[in-house]
Amino acid sequence: MSNHAILPSRRQALAGLLGAPAVLLGLPADHAAAQAGGTVSFIGWSAAVDQVRAQISAFERATNIRVNYENFPWAQFRTALVTRLVGNAPIDVSWVSDAWLPEFAEAGWLADINDIPQLMRYNAEAADYCTQSMTYRGRQYGLAYYGDHMSFMYNTELLQRAGIAAPPTTWEEVVQQSLRIKQQGISEYPLLLSLAADTWLIEFVSALTYAFGGRMVDDQGNAVMADANRGSVRAARFIREAIATHRIVSPGAVETPEINGLRAMGSGAHAFGIVPTYRIRALNDPSQAQAHGKIRVALMPKGGPDGTNATLGWIRFYGMTPGAKQDRARRERAVRFMEFFGGRDTAGAYSMQKLLLTDVGLPSCALPVNDDADVKTFWDRWAGGGAVIAQQATLARKKDTISPWFGEWVETSNQAWQAVCLGRAEPEAAMRTAAAKWTELRRAFR
Amino acid sequence: MSGALERRPGPRRRPALGYDERNAAILVFPVVAVLLVVAAYPILYSFWVSLHDIVLTRPLRRPFVGFDNYLRIFDDERFWLAVSRTTVYTVVTVAVTTLLAVLVALLLNEAFPGQRILSALLLVPWATPSVVNGLMWKWIYDPTYGLLNALLVQLGLLERYRAWLGDPDLTLLLIANAAVWKQMPLAALLLIVTMKAIPDDLYRAAKVDGANVFQRFIHVTLPALRPGLMLVLVYETMISIRHFDLFLIMTQGGPGDASFTLSWLIYVETFRSLRFGTGAAMSYVLAMATFLLSWALIRWLGKRI
Amino acid sequence: MAGRPIAPRLGRALLLAVFSALFVLYVAGPVAWLVSSSLQTEAQITAVPPNWLPPELNFGNFDAILNAAERQVTYETRRQGDPATGGFLPSGAANLLPSLWNSLTVGLWVAALNLLLSITAAYAIAVIDFRGRRATLYTVLATRVVPDIALIVPLFLVIRNLGLINTLGALVVTYLAITVPFTIFILISYFEGIPRDLYRAARIDGCGHWRALRHVYLPLSLPALVASLTFAFLTSWNEFVFALVLTQNVAAQTLPIVISGFVMDFTTSFSFVNAAGVIAIIPPVVMAVLFQRYIVSGLTAGAVKG
Repeated sequence: MSNHAILPSRRQALAGLLGAPAVLLGLPADHAAAQAGGTVSFIGWSAAVDQVRAQISAFERATNIRVNYENFPWAQFRTALVTRLVGNAPIDVSWVSDAWLPEFAEAGWLADINDIPQLMRYNAEAADYCTQSMTYRGRQYGLAYYGDHMSFMYNTELLQRAGIAAPPTTWEEVVQQSLRIKQQGISEYPLLLSLAADTWLIEFVSALTYAFGGRMVDDQGNAVMADANRGSVRAARFIREAIATHRIVSPGAVETPEINGLRAMGSGAHAFGIVPTYRIRALNDPSQAQAHGKIRVALMPKGGPDGTNATLGWIRFYGMTPGAKQDRARRERAVRFMEFFGGRDTAGAYSMQKLLLTDVGLPSCALPVNDDADVKTFWDRWAGGGAVIAQQATLARKKDTISPWFGEWVETSNQAWQAVCLGRAEPEAAMRTAAAKWTELRRAFR
Repeated sequence: MSGALERRPGPRRRPALGYDERNAAILVFPVVAVLLVVAAYPILYSFWVSLHDIVLTRPLRRPFVGFDNYLRIFDDERFWLAVSRTTVYTVVTVAVTTLLAVLVALLLNEAFPGQRILSALLLVPWATPSVVNGLMWKWIYDPTYGLLNALLVQLGLLERYRAWLGDPDLTLLLIANAAVWKQMPLAALLLIVTMKAIPDDLYRAAKVDGANVFQRFIHVTLPALRPGLMLVLVYETMISIRHFDLFLIMTQGGPGDASFTLSWLIYVETFRSLRFGTGAAMSYVLAMATFLLSWALIRWLGKRI
Repeated sequence: MAGRPIAPRLGRALLLAVFSALFVLYVAGPVAWLVSSSLQTEAQITAVPPNWLPPELNFGNFDAILNAAERQVTYETRRQGDPATGGFLPSGAANLLPSLWNSLTVGLWVAALNLLLSITAAYAIAVIDFRGRRATLYTVLATRVVPDIALIVPLFLVIRNLGLINTLGALVVTYLAITVPFTIFILISYFEGIPRDLYRAARIDGCGHWRALRHVYLPLSLPALVASLTFAFLTSWNEFVFALVLTQNVAAQTLPIVISGFVMDFTTSFSFVNAAGVIAIIPPVVMAVLFQRYIVSGLTAGAVKG
C-alpha cells in the first residue's frame, strides 16, 4: 500500500496544475497591444504613477500610439534599467537622473537630441540649469521630467511655542534656536537631517556644502572638498557637532532615509529640516501630515564665515535610447512621446508639467508653467506663497560631482559622511578620503 | 552501503556496468538539460566577463586581461573589509541558525499536545518573503516607532529609544537576527526529516543500557543527525555567505561601512560603479570560497560513522 | 516509590511547555506584530509608545487590496497628491492579487517540476554505481555557488533569447535552476540512508532501476519529498532579484516585486505595507497547515525503521 502512497497525491497535484501551461508560455502582454499606431516603451520609477498613467491615456487618445509603461521602485530602478540596457531590451524612453547622465552617455545608452529640433526648441522656455543638467560634453540628452532643489523648512507652531519670532538665517542661529526649543522640551531633536546611505545622501550634503559657501569640486574638476576652509569640511563638522555636541540632530539620522525624515517632519517632531521642495505639498496636506499648514520655507541659512543662501538643485529627465533613435518609426514615436510629456501636448499645453506640479508638487523646468494661474494658487495654498521658493530656485546649483565616475565615487563619499556622523572619522580625514578617491578615479578615467 | 556523500572503503559490487551507466545517464539527463540551458551560460558568461576589463562607461575599450581583475581585487582594501564583514555575518548566522534548528527539531520531534500547531507555525517565518522580512525587522528596530525600543523601555532595560540599525557595532548582528529568523525553519525541517529516519531500536537499546536523555542525545541522536547537519550547514553557508536581499532592504551597506559585505560590494561594483569585469571577478572569488567551504563540509560530515 | 515515574514525566511536560512557549514567542511574535500593525491606522502605528493591539480593528488596508479594481487612469480618475506620508493607497494596490496568483502559479509549477527532475537524478547519483557520480554531484552543486548579482545580466540575455521575458515560464525555469541542485542534494542524502539491502533485494527480484525507484525509494522517502516540495515552493515564493529583472508588469510580476514597490519607495503608509506583507504570508501558511501532517507527523511508520 505504501508503495503507491505518493502517486495519487502527485497525480492530483498535477491535474490541478495542467490547466495553466497557456499562461506559463503565453506571449508577453505587449504583443496584444501592438496596433496601427505602434507602441512606445517607456520605463520609469514608481513615482507620480497616476499622473503618468493619466497622461498616457491622453497621449494614446491623441496620437493612437500605445504606451508600454513599466515602473520599478526607485531603489532598484538603476539595477533594472542597467540590466535592460546591457541586455538590449527594446526600451524607447526612460526617466534618467541627472547624476547618471555622464555614465549613461559614455556607456552609449542615451541618444542625444541635438538634431531633433522638435525637442530642442523647448530649451527656449526652460530654466537654464535644467538644460545644463541634461547636457554632457556639449550634447543634450533629453527633456526635463521635473527640476527641484533642497529647501530649508520650519514648523511655525514649534517656533511660536518657543517664542522665536523669525526663522534662522544662519546655521549658527539654527543651533541656538534648536537648543532653545530642545531646552523647553518642545522637541528632542529640533533639526531634521536624513542621512541614510542612499541616493539622497549626496543631495543633502551637497546642499549643506553650498550653504557653507563651498564646493565639492571646482570648475576645473579638481576635488576641493577636503580644503579645510571650504564648505564640505565645515558642513561635515557642523553635522558632527549637531549630533554629538549639541544633540539637536538624532543619532538615528544615519539610518533615516529621506521619506522617514519626511514623515517625522510631517508629524511635527522637528522644528527645522532640509527637505526636497516638492514635499511641501505633502507636509501641508491635512490628510497626510499632523503638522499641516504649519510648514513653511525659508531661504537656506548661511553657514560659517563664507556662507551663502545657495542650495542644491537636481533634475530628472526623459532620455531616448540609441536603439530607438536609429529606427525611424521608433524614433518618431519616441519623439512624440517625449514632447507630449516633457514639452507641450498636442493641444499646445504643458499639461504633464502642470499636472505634476499641481498634483504632486514637482516643480517644472518649463518657465511658462510658473506663470499659470493654477500654479500660483497651488503655491499659495500649499506653501503660503511661492516667493521664497522662486528665490531659492535661482540660488540652486547642480551637483558639481556629476561625472562619469559619479556612481563609483559616491559610495566612498557616502561612507565618509556617515563615518563623520557616527564619530568614527574626523571631518578633515573623511573629506580627504573622498577627495583622494575622486582624484584617483578622475585620473584613471582619462 | 553506498553513497556519493561518503567514501567507501573496501570492495564493492559492480553489477551489469552497461545497464547501470546507461540508466544513470537517462536519469540524470533532464537535470543536466535544464541546468545547461539556464545555469551554464550565465555562469560561463560571467567567468568570461571576469577575464576582461569591462567598464560599462568605456564601451569601446574592453581588453582581455586574464586574471588581472583577480589580482586587482586582492589589492583592494574594500575587498578585505567586505571579507571580514561577510565572515562575521556568515559565522553568526550559520552557527545560530544551526543551534536553534537543532533545539526546534528536538522539540518538534517529540509527541505532545499542540505539536502539530507548532509544526505549522514553523513555516511562518519561512513563508515570509525576504522583502517583507527585511521590512518587518526594520520596522521592529525603528528608532522612533519600533517595537524593540518600546519593549525594552517598558521592561526597564533601556532608558531611552536607540537607533539600533544606526549603531555600527550592532548592525550586522541585527541583520543576522532577521536572517536567522527566516532561515531557521528550513534547517529545522531538514533535521526533523533526518530524525524521522532514526530507528527507534537505537533509542530502546540505549535505554536498556541505562543511558539518560542527555547521553542518548550525544550517542544516538547526534550521530544519526549527521546527514541532516551536513545539509543544513552546507545550505546555510551557501545562502549566508552570498546573502544580499536584507542588506539591500535594511542598510544598503551602512551605516558607514558596517554592513559592507561581499555581496553588497559586488552589487556596488557591478551596478553602481558599472565595473562588470572586477564585479564578476569578485563573484568568482566568492563562488570559489563558497564551493570550497561546501566541499569541505561535505567531506567532513558526509562520511558515515 | 509510586511518584518516581511521575516526576520525570512532569519534568518533561514542564520542559516541553517552556520550550514551546519560547518557540511560539520567537517564531510568531514578529508576525503577530506585523498583523497587529496592519489592522491599525497610520496614526495608531506611529504612536509612541506603540499600540500592542489595534485599539479598534481597521480593515481598510485589506479592503483596499482585496477590492482594488483595475481602473483606467485618466485626468478625471487620477489620484492627486504625493502619496508619501500615508493615508494614500498606492496605485499598485490593484496589482497585488494578480501578483499573488502569479506567485502561486510559479511556485506550484516549480515545486512539481523540481521534484520530478530531482528524484531521478538523485536516485542515479545516490544508488547507481557509475563513474563520475561524485563529480556529477559537485558539478550540480557548483551551479549554485556563483552570487546571483553576477548572474543577473547573463540570465536576462538567456531569457530574452528564449523569448520569455515577462512570462511566468521565465521564472519557472530560473527557479528550477535555483532549487534543483539543492533538492538533489537533500534527496541523495536521504536515499543514502535507506538500507541498501532493500535495493539489492529488489534487484534480485528482477526490478529495474525505474521499479526500484518507484517501489523502494519513493515510498520510503515521503518526508524528504515533502520537504523538497516545500523548499522549492517557498524558494520561488521568496525570490526577489531575478523576478525584478525578468518581469515587467502585472502579467508576470510576483508578489515580492509588487510589495517592494510599496516598501522601497515608501510611497504609501506603513500600515498598508504591513497589510501587504500579511497577505504575502497567508497562502504558504495555509498550504503548510494542509500539508503539515505529511511534513512532521504521521511519518513515523516508515519501513526504514523496520
